[in-house]
Amino acid sequence: MKNDIESRLREALRPVAPTEDFTRRVIAQATAKSARSADRSGGAASRRLWWLSGIAASLLMAAGVYQHQRAQREVADGLEARRQVLQALALTSQKLDLAYETVKSQSSSLGDPEAGA
Amino acid sequence: MSCRLGAWLALLLIPTLCTAAANARLNLPDFAALSKTASDSVSITLDPNLLAMAARFLDSKDPEEAQTIDVIKGLQGIYIRSFTFDTDGAYRASDIDSVRAQLAAPGWTRLVETRSRKTHADVDIYIMVDKNQAVGLAVIASEPRQFTIVNIVGAIDLDKLHKLEGQLGVPKLDIDMTPPEKRGVSKSLAPVSPPPPVPKSP
Repeated sequence: MKNDIESRLREALRPVAPTEDFTRRVIAQATAKSARSADRSGGAASRRLWWLSGIAASLLMAAGVYQHQRAQREVADGLEARRQVLQALALTSQKLDLAYETVKSQSSSLGDPEAGA
Repeated sequence: MSCRLGAWLALLLIPTLCTAAANARLNLPDFAALSKTASDSVSITLDPNLLAMAARFLDSKDPEEAQTIDVIKGLQGIYIRSFTFDTDGAYRASDIDSVRAQLAAPGWTRLVETRSRKTHADVDIYIMVDKNQAVGLAVIASEPRQFTIVNIVGAIDLDKLHKLEGQLGVPKLDIDMTPPEKRGVSKSLAPVSPPPPVPKSP
């Protein structure tokens, strides 16, 4: 009885060479696993790249908008300065003209005694 | 050697010229109380940066604007305060006293003083001269309903101003452009004076 059990156990636990199919399946599974893991890391890198590209694009756009606004502000300031210069010269000339008119009217009064001072 | 000496002299002279021009700048009050009662007020403050910016926006191809560029090129500042009122006597002469007091300082010379009995407009034109070069101009115009103070700082070239006459509304000022040595007086100080009376023929 004992010998019978032992022989059955030995029979069941005897070393068996793996079939060709087993090896193929193991290799296929391992390849699939590594591919999945590569896909996962590649997707993360791609997502990171997208994020970085988005941030860079946003920064570029913000810089562009800032430059545009600055240029517009400079143009507005320049045009305002130009307007002020022309207004200042016009106002100055107006007052110089006032002095000139007074001098002219006084000189004509001096030239013509009948005109009265 | 002489070049180096010239460069050192120029370096020493630059601060002197800048100081002279800086002295020509009047300390104009903001006239806050008057600006509240005025119907129209103009306050212009153009420092060298703003003048340079304005010059960039003037059309150098336009003959009139090109001359304006030429005139403002040597300037270091234009400062104007002008107030217009709806009624006569809305301001007192004492309001401008602080400015007149500054013009009494050495360096300033009254070039023109006009008093019109007809329009009651008084105009005083002052000039500051440094080494035969006008470095400052001030105009105080008091009218019944308006007063204006103009202060121009910097190298005011009367030749260029003379060229501007009749353009941009600048009147013919009869500025005597005869060389000073021929007249015995400084060109910059040539006053606008009425011609002598012409005797009437009998």
